[in-house]
Amino acid sequence: MDGNRRYAKKLSVKTSDGHSKGFDKLSETLKWCLDLGIPEVTVYAFSIENFKRSDEEVNALMDLARDKFQRLLDAMDQINDWGVRIHVAGRMSLLPLDLCKMVSQAMLATRHNNKLRLNIAYAYTGRDEISRAASQIADGVNHEDITTYDINEELVSQALDLGPPELLIRTSGEVRLSDFMLWQTANTVLYFSDALWPEFTVWNLLLAIIHFQRYAPPPLPQKDNNGNQDEFLQKLEEKRLQQLKNYIECSS
Amino acid sequence: MLSRLIRQVLFVLLHLVTVNNEVMTVLGHVPLITKELKHLVVLVDTDHHTLTDLARVVIWSLVFGISYVSFYDITGKLQKDEENLFVEVEKQKKGIPGCIKWSDKPNLNGYSNGIPANTISVNILSYNDGRPKIIKCLQQISQDKTLSIRSSDEFTSQELDRTLKTIYPSIPDPNLVLYSGPLCCTHGLLPWHIRLTEFIQISIDHSINVNNYLGALYKYNKCDLRFGK
Repeated sequence: MDGNRRYAKKLSVKTSDGHSKGFDKLSETLKWCLDLGIPEVTVYAFSIENFKRSDEEVNALMDLARDKFQRLLDAMDQINDWGVRIHVAGRMSLLPLDLCKMVSQAMLATRHNNKLRLNIAYAYTGRDEISRAASQIADGVNHEDITTYDINEELVSQALDLGPPELLIRTSGEVRLSDFMLWQTANTVLYFSDALWPEFTVWNLLLAIIHFQRYAPPPLPQKDNNGNQDEFLQKLEEKRLQQLKNYIECSS
Repeated sequence: MLSRLIRQVLFVLLHLVTVNNEVMTVLGHVPLITKELKHLVVLVDTDHHTLTDLARVVIWSLVFGISYVSFYDITGKLQKDEENLFVEVEKQKKGIPGCIKWSDKPNLNGYSNGIPANTISVNILSYNDGRPKIIKCLQQISQDKTLSIRSSDEFTSQELDRTLKTIYPSIPDPNLVLYSGPLCCTHGLLPWHIRLTEFIQISIDHSINVNNYLGALYKYNKCDLRFGK
């Protein structure tokens, strides 16, 4: 979701207005994806690098996130009705505690929904995601849940926050990944659209999908997990679940 | 015998004329493309690209002043052909000033007539340089306690980067990836190193020539980096 600020500049409105237009576009796009029957959508909302922006802008973005997550929590019945699962990917410890708590609540409350999984990459970079997975794996060997020989590409892929996407759309004419899903995109169709994110239309989305349908490469071969790996991954999931519960408790 | 000799002489002359023309074209554009370009990667599909295409990319890049050019071997056939690519580059290099470095092959030097000449390193990369190499690094970390020292529960990307740097040769992150054809895909190219890399299409029909090469560099020149700001 790139181009909010350029959009604001183009229309001579405040940067924060651009960001909030960008958020509206997100809900619109999700609706299109639901209608099209796409089961998993991931958006890159906030990079760890974005913390380097001015305090004013970072605070405004955190406020925007607080506001949206609050509204999301208020509309939980509707979200459960749609069957949307919300998953936030990123280094949560970098977020303000109150936001962390809201995020955890949203993730826990929707975790059994299975119609559409919405991943929001927040306080995220692809390198950071790999680094966190690497730490969990190193700990797994330390605790003798797995051995060094259990470490393979499939294990890392499954220990990450985000699964491999088939199609990645980058808006606003940028032609780089900007540290997004670095590990997962080995077999992904990268589609670059010139539209600024707030101006992204259903036609842009459909063009991307048609391009994907036409040129998608064949899937990569997959190895099955062994028992150790399965057990380790299950433990990891439980650990992450517990972490979310801790966030809710420690801030209440 | 004589006719063969004449043919060879003619061939060399023809080669010098066409290659030098291209070199002059590239040289003319060097001052106009100002954005730093240290490491260029070409996604090579051996079904479409010839060794001559690739050798010419090396020559243009040498003249342009790019320090590293890497060919990413999508089909797995280029690595087997490395020797022939080297020979082809050697052929194309005749009369061009500058030095071409190849990991396990002799340097190709040339006359520089006192003008400071460029140096370029050529590498062939494959899928195994990406994820499998990171896996090796993670295995090392899991075995060696000194490598798993971290400031908090989980590595920061800077911490893991330090360990990864020890197993990767000191080649800068790619600035630009050139791909041909309608599909843009990393095919597993160096996942750790491509976070800021620009992906630019050189041609839709897989052709590689000096014009679309320069066109791609111009597109690259227009991309601006904001580092998240």
